[in-house]
This record gives sequence, C-alpha cells and structure tokens, in this order.
Amino acid sequence: MKLVDKLLKIYTFGILGLIYVPIVVLIVFSFNESKSKVVFTGFTLENYYRLVGNFRVWESFYNSIWIGVVVTVVSVLLAILMAYGITRYEFRGKTIIDSLVLVPIIIPEIVEALTLLVFLVILGIDLSPYTIIIGHVAFDVSFAYVVIKARMVGYDPQYEEAARTLGADELRAFTKVTLPILAPGIIAASLIAFLESYDDFIKTFFTRPAGFMTLPVYIWNMASRRGFPLDLNALATFVVALALIFAYIRNRVGKGVYL
Amino acid sequence: MSIIDIIRRGKKLKLFIFIGIPMIYLLIFFFIPFLIAFLYSLGMFKQVVYQYVFVPEPSLEYYSGLMKFPGIFKSIQRSFYYASLTTLGTFLISYPLTYYIGVKLEEKYRDLAVLIIFTPFWINFLLRVYAMRFILHEAGMINLILRLIGIISEPIKFLGTDTAVIIVMIYSYLIFMVLPLYGVLEKLDVELLEAAATLGATPFKAFIKITLPLSLPGILAGSLLVFIPAVGEFVIPELVGGPNTTTLGTIIYSFFLRVRGVTGWGIGSAAALIYIVLILVASYVYMKFVGGEVRLG
Repeated sequence: MKLVDKLLKIYTFGILGLIYVPIVVLIVFSFNESKSKVVFTGFTLENYYRLVGNFRVWESFYNSIWIGVVVTVVSVLLAILMAYGITRYEFRGKTIIDSLVLVPIIIPEIVEALTLLVFLVILGIDLSPYTIIIGHVAFDVSFAYVVIKARMVGYDPQYEEAARTLGADELRAFTKVTLPILAPGIIAASLIAFLESYDDFIKTFFTRPAGFMTLPVYIWNMASRRGFPLDLNALATFVVALALIFAYIRNRVGKGVYL
Repeated sequence: MSIIDIIRRGKKLKLFIFIGIPMIYLLIFFFIPFLIAFLYSLGMFKQVVYQYVFVPEPSLEYYSGLMKFPGIFKSIQRSFYYASLTTLGTFLISYPLTYYIGVKLEEKYRDLAVLIIFTPFWINFLLRVYAMRFILHEAGMINLILRLIGIISEPIKFLGTDTAVIIVMIYSYLIFMVLPLYGVLEKLDVELLEAAATLGATPFKAFIKITLPLSLPGILAGSLLVFIPAVGEFVIPELVGGPNTTTLGTIIYSFFLRVRGVTGWGIGSAAALIYIVLILVASYVYMKFVGGEVRLG
C-alpha cells in the first residue's frame, strides 16, 4: 500500500504541474522574437509594447471591471435579502423557492443567454451594457446565495435575539450583529460573483450591443481568427498576474468556500 | 385593527422585501424569458415592421426546419459523445487526485493544494482554450515532445479533430469534477477505513466497499456539473475544432449569431429547447442508473 500511496503522490504532483503547462508555455513565448511555438529564438518585449499601445484591450478590460463591480454589488445585495428571508422566516412554498433560486446554476449558459436575448428583443429593449449586467445578475444571485446561505445556516440566531432583547430594533440588530457575522460569507460571495461576471463570455456575447467588448469578447475576436496573435500571449501574462492576486485575496478572506 | 393584524402585515411586508424582490428579479429576467423563448420557438411571435406581435397559433415550423438541417442528428450525437468522454475523462483524472489531497495529504497542506488546482481557473476561460490551441498546434509543444521521445515521426494534426476538442474540454471542465469530489472525500472518516482493516478487509476491498460508495454523491454532482454544460459547449469546438466538430452548441450559436433573423432565432430557440429536454432525460436516466447501483451494493 505504501507503493500505491507513493504513486498517488507522484501522480498528484504531476497533475498539479501539468495544468499550468499550457499557460506557462503561452507566457514564455510571449517574449519570443520569432513566431515559433517551440524554439525560443531571442528575447523581445515587442508584443508587450503592442499590447500596451492597444486601446481596444484596455477599453475591454475597463468594461469587464466596471460591469463586474456593478453586477457583484446588485447580486450580493439580492442574495443577502434572499438568504436572510429563507433562513429567518417560515412561509408556504419555502422549499420550492429555495430550489428555484438554484435553477440558474444548473441551466446551461448558452440557453440562458439566448432566452434573455429573445426576451429583450421582443420587448423592444435595446441591447446596452445594462442588458449585460441584467443577464449576469440573474446567474450571480444564485452563486452568491449558495455561499451566503451556507454561512447563514451555520450561525446561531440567538445573538440577534440577544440584541433585540437589549433594545435594538430588527434593522439595527441586522446591521450591528448579523452583517458582521455574515461578513466572511459576503466577501467570499462577492469574489465568486465578480469572477463569474469578469470571466463570462457566452451571456455577454449574446446580450451585448454591437461593437461593445469585454475582455473575454476581445479574446474571442482575436482567437477566432484562426491565427496566433502573440499579443494574446502577452495579455496572458497580465491576466495571470491578476489571477494570482485574486488567488491571494481569496486565500486570505474566503477559506473553506469552494465554488 | 388588532395588534395581531399589524404584526401579520409587518411579516408580509418583510417577506415581500426579503423573498419577493430577489424572486421577482429572477422571475422577470430568468424564468419568463424561458417561457417567451419557448413560445418563440413555436412561431408564436411574428415580426410586424419593427415590433413583435403575439400570434396564438403554435406551429412546429422551426422544429422541422431544425430537423432538416444537414448533419443535425450527427451533431447531437457528437455533442453527447464529447460530453460523455469529457465526464469520464475528468472523473478518471480527478478521482485519484482528490483522493490523495482529501484523504492522504496532511491536513495543513490541503487548502494550499486546492488553491493550486484552483488558480489556473481564474485565468480567463478563453485564454486557457487559446493556450491549449497554442500547444496542440502542428508546430507546437506537444508534437515536439511526441517526436522527441520517438512516438511519432510526422507531426499530428490535432486541431480540427475530435481528439483536440475532447482534450481541451477535459482540461477546461476538470475543476467542476474536482470540487464536488474533494467535498465528499475530504469529509471521509478515515476511522471507517481503519475499522475495515482491523476487521480483515484488504485496502482494495475497503476502498470498494467504503470509500467509493461514500464518494457517490460527489461523483453524481461532479458528473452532472460537467455533463450538462459540456453537451452545449460551443467555444471549444469553435476554437480548436473544425468543420467536422459541429455540436448542438455550435448549431445554436450559428443560428443565433450568424444566420440571425426571425427564422435563425426561431430555429436556434428550438435547438435550445431540444437541448434542455435531452439534458433532463439524460440526467434522469443517469441518476436512476447510479441510484440503482447503490441499492445493489
């Protein structure tokens, strides 16, 4: 059995390394002078100069960020309301509502995206950055809800009752007692909600106005031209740096929440 | 008005704020669009100048249009083929991995290991697919390595083939299998295995009789999380596949965003509805099948 354990260990480390290989290769060859994908012919920063000077990339990146922030705020607020209502009140149809909120997680995104597009067009609503936000919130509420509710279920309502006994009204008890206890869950939910929106391609692609780009849409436009634009390799370095920052924050604040 | 009435009304108002507002949002922007798209696929919205009017005469015109689309059945079959192999592949790769991390690895290193698996999945999905295309290319890293170790003499053309699509899909969906599996394996009570050993079970038998059945909920959740979206995947077949890798997803995508127009959207909506129905049936059969196995064991 010792041998099996050893093999398992080697295997695990192997896979952990392998999942990084494609990205590392992409980054290494962003510094390559020639267009070769296997031979490193010489060091250059040319792709980076091109990337920095590329206005479209930064515009798309900016769009991804602000849309992500708005989506996160709205969906986390809705999720807090929902999680609080479900865990604190008894009412008819509670289990049905609890499972309805989870439906957006299960439904394939391409279907969500096209149904929303059909809906918007039939109502005569013009596509805009706000239609993208509407779409993202619809799935992010569910993700944020799962995380916040998990935190809510594990917390003893007696603290809140104690605050009420000591004279706080419900709102005050909520903001002074419940919210601080929920904070780690809210932060974890915000991170997940932001990442889901920031990385979303399909729903954005269907509900965006013509010419409007987020970072994933920009990457799609570059990559679907069949070539290998080395700017994308340079962009990978930037995006990986961001991912490492996210990973760091996530490790500091959201331990134990994997979604 | 009695005091009880006021309290009741207060509760109703609170319920409306807490439950009502989020549910109304989901109702308007998630559930009603489904209904509208369903009616649309039945041809019940007609375009008059710039407006859509509701015509209460359902027809199956778009569904038959979809069925007449060349290669449609082959594409649906291919979607399920890709999704099944992706589910199987992600399972075979992540089970030993999560077993090691969740059961064998010292507890203090577990969070770190999960973080290491997680981090690449915070890099934009499309960029990861592009990275895979970069190394799968004829003049790319994988071909170079295969040639250096002497497995092949001529470069293999991966891009445009089923193999490329399946490899990239397994790579991209891995995390959705890892997380639920890790969730159950990390909670596995090691004392159960020790008890089995004390009672004379070989480690292999203990694994078959204890670990595997206990990880079944994770396996079930993981396979559904991978399989359901994998059937409709269109980004990966578009970026690393070719003319021979059309799937249900690429068909929906091209009817919606390339063909466009009322007909394009009608047929696209019909394809999406068929996708949902097929997925529901497949998941139901799968859960019956796996559930049945548990009872036998």
